[in-house]
Amino acid sequence: MSSPRCPSCERPVKLPPENKTFPFCSERCRTIDLGRWLGEEFRVPTRQVEEDEDGQGLPPGAGSTPQDA
Amino acid sequence: MESTSQPAPAAAPSTVSANTPAEYNAASITVLEGLEAVRKRPGMYIGDTFVRGLHHLVYEVVDNSVDEALAGFATGVHVFIHVDNSITVIDDGRGIPVGPHPSVPGMDTLDVVMTKLHAGGKFENSAYKVSGGLHGVGVSCVNALSELMTVEVQRNGKVYNQTYRRGVPQGQVREVGVTEKRGTRVTFKPDTTIFEVSEYDFDTLSTRLRELAFLNAGLHITITDERSDKKHDFKFEGGITTFVEFMNKGKQAFNEKVIFFKTEKDLVSLEIAMQWNDGYDERIYTFANNINTPEGGSHLSGFKAALTRTINAYAERGQLWKDIKEQPTGDDAREGLGAVISVKLPNPQFEGQTKQKLGNSEIKGLVEQMVNEQLGQWLDENPSNAKKIVGKIGDAARARIAARKARETVRKGAFTGGGLPGKLADCRSNKPEECELFIVEGDSAGGSAKQGRESKFQAILPLRGKILNVEKARLEKMLTSNEIVTLITALGTGVRAGNDNEGYKPEDARYHRIILMTDADVDGSHIRTLLLTFFFRQMPELIEKGYIYIAQPPLYKVTLNKKDRYLKDEDARSDFLLERAAERAALELSTGELTGDALKKLLKKVTLYNKRLEKMALRKDKRVVDAIVQAANFTPEALKDAAPSVKDDEGNLVTPAQFEFDKVQAYLEERYPDIIDRMRVERRDDPQHSSKKFIIKSDVNGAFRETVLDTDFLVSAEYRELVSLRDAFQAFGPAPYTLRIGDPKKARGDGEDELKRHTAHSYQDVLALAYEEAQKGLYIQRYKGLGEMNPEQLAETTMNPATRTLLQVKVKDLIEAQDVFSKLMGDDVDRRREWIEKESVRVVNLDI
Repeated sequence: MSSPRCPSCERPVKLPPENKTFPFCSERCRTIDLGRWLGEEFRVPTRQVEEDEDGQGLPPGAGSTPQDA
Repeated sequence: MESTSQPAPAAAPSTVSANTPAEYNAASITVLEGLEAVRKRPGMYIGDTFVRGLHHLVYEVVDNSVDEALAGFATGVHVFIHVDNSITVIDDGRGIPVGPHPSVPGMDTLDVVMTKLHAGGKFENSAYKVSGGLHGVGVSCVNALSELMTVEVQRNGKVYNQTYRRGVPQGQVREVGVTEKRGTRVTFKPDTTIFEVSEYDFDTLSTRLRELAFLNAGLHITITDERSDKKHDFKFEGGITTFVEFMNKGKQAFNEKVIFFKTEKDLVSLEIAMQWNDGYDERIYTFANNINTPEGGSHLSGFKAALTRTINAYAERGQLWKDIKEQPTGDDAREGLGAVISVKLPNPQFEGQTKQKLGNSEIKGLVEQMVNEQLGQWLDENPSNAKKIVGKIGDAARARIAARKARETVRKGAFTGGGLPGKLADCRSNKPEECELFIVEGDSAGGSAKQGRESKFQAILPLRGKILNVEKARLEKMLTSNEIVTLITALGTGVRAGNDNEGYKPEDARYHRIILMTDADVDGSHIRTLLLTFFFRQMPELIEKGYIYIAQPPLYKVTLNKKDRYLKDEDARSDFLLERAAERAALELSTGELTGDALKKLLKKVTLYNKRLEKMALRKDKRVVDAIVQAANFTPEALKDAAPSVKDDEGNLVTPAQFEFDKVQAYLEERYPDIIDRMRVERRDDPQHSSKKFIIKSDVNGAFRETVLDTDFLVSAEYRELVSLRDAFQAFGPAPYTLRIGDPKKARGDGEDELKRHTAHSYQDVLALAYEEAQKGLYIQRYKGLGEMNPEQLAETTMNPATRTLLQVKVKDLIEAQDVFSKLMGDDVDRRREWIEKESVRVVNLDI
């Protein structure tokens, strides 16, 4: 495993207990990260479509091909 | 009478006249009246009569010497603190002029300089273009406030001397000797009847003198404390650049080389040195004519305005801050900045209570313009450093915005009176040790969980990942900031807000089991990753305390005779099927029958063998490995160069390696005939082991794959495990094998149950047949979402402490998974997409 890097600034970081702000290099970088969470910047890929999740079934027109519509 | 504690009375002139009757005239009286004013209101001239004023006396005298240096006539200034707290300042300048003063009849010029307020060359720009001495009150002011002062001038090959008590000359300027040197030496003892303190502080003086040495590149300044033998020696050829390096010592710099520029405009000269470090405080030292202006003034405001504007303009041009919603402020730009601004100007005006602020308003625009030009140019010429600096300032802005958001979040929590989020279905107990919080993704699963929970100690928080359509045909999921706030509020811990950690109390967690319950599919695993990452980064204490768990909902539901069974994962499913196969089948061997547990054990070994083989399939051709293991009996010795030959089936002498490999080839021909046409075998030397090795190139789904058969492979743990599994099931004899399905007694008896016999050519075939049989009459459902279970099922399989399994999350696991997190969730879209495409197999299996 390569040495871990700070998730914010990507500089190498020391491990705990030596590093009290692990996994970050500093409290500052932790705060930047928190800002990214609150700023909705962290996303993961998905295959779901929102309509599906809402339980509303398929979006309008989904049952037919575009040519038919 | 000079020794009395009273200020020198009006009778003082008579003392002078007593010594030198001819000199007594109106001019002398004016002088004494001037200095008397200084003695009456010393605060007006030197600030105060405490520590600051006392030290100020030294600066006044030193400043005169530095002015000589500024004008290019002196190279060194030497300060001595004597044992009685008197001070001597020596320079090697031109020496104060001596001789009859042109406009004050009857007085020596030296006398005028030392005793007349507002005397001196500094008021005419020709003598000193710029001057540091304080507003011209200068040395006469020091003289007035000293109980004894002696000045010695070396000039024109002669030495002159005059002594004063409280500003009153003790006799005329006298020529006392000859010299080859030049310069001025002033010794004074502050008047204890004026000053409340008398001790000089070495460090205070030393700090100011160091500053002066920085501000005047190349000027040699020393300070010697005769009370303690301390001595400092300052000379900085680098000037204020060295000053900034000195300030940033021990810190990581963003621009390796200090930015320095020097310009001149309209008789004003400006020098700036600056460097950003990885600290957070801003340290800008400003000077006007070498005088420290701790309260700033027009030069500082010009600098600040220009700095923010130039940097912002540069970042905007390069689109370096496009992710930041608000423009970085001046505070962001100056975070971690160490800078020295030194301006030299004619007629400085000092403002403020303590005269520590530069007032000349025209300076602001001048400084601003100069910084705009010079810094803009520097940024353009140093793109890599510029990028680092701009990146750092962007981070400062991000951190500031984030900290504010976090504080608002915390405050919002406080505003609702610590109220809990409406979405949370809390438990009745308020003992955190026994309380559990299930974080469930999806409203429908949340509904089931609410109905199925034990509401005394189990709370449910449904979260919903929001889907974003980022680009055509690419969807992303995230937690909204509301969801995060809801989560934090439900946990009751608060969150860190910048450097203010007071809002964050992990020990206040309302639940000691926080259980992530997400769907058992790729999306569920991604949401789980997102949540785990949040905890790991923002609340690692919860993981350290062992509060975070992952629920283990079943992956399969098996319906048999209208009865349901839940199977946790692939292993459980295979176990179940083997169990069932072993109940119904028998393996007929020449030595007897294998049934029940013994059969199950055998099939499990074959399953494990297949699994191990599958694991190798990423790097090798599993068919070839299978053949090597099952058909032959390779040992490292067989590969040795020196291995003695053996006879093959036809009686020919061959190497033992070839003998074994022929068996591999035969096995492949029989079991996987399609591999042979496109397979190439290379025999190479393996000098490291004095052995041979085989490289088998075969076609795996249209691409050539190399399977290396060498000593390293034969001693590897994975090969040895495969061999031991093989030995275990080969002990039951060679192929073919017969698998009998059904009970022979029953079949013979009533003929209801048909008896079947299958022939298999390998143990893998036996296993496949057994699986096939076991699945008959079963309905196996793969659960994708938690919502597919009804509340009772969810409770029984996943939530009820008596029947569920939980996985505790450990920090160690997360450290190892960090790389995956950052790649999966990084904001660099291109890099992430590339990674996801490459590692899609692993992302699917991302399971911690």
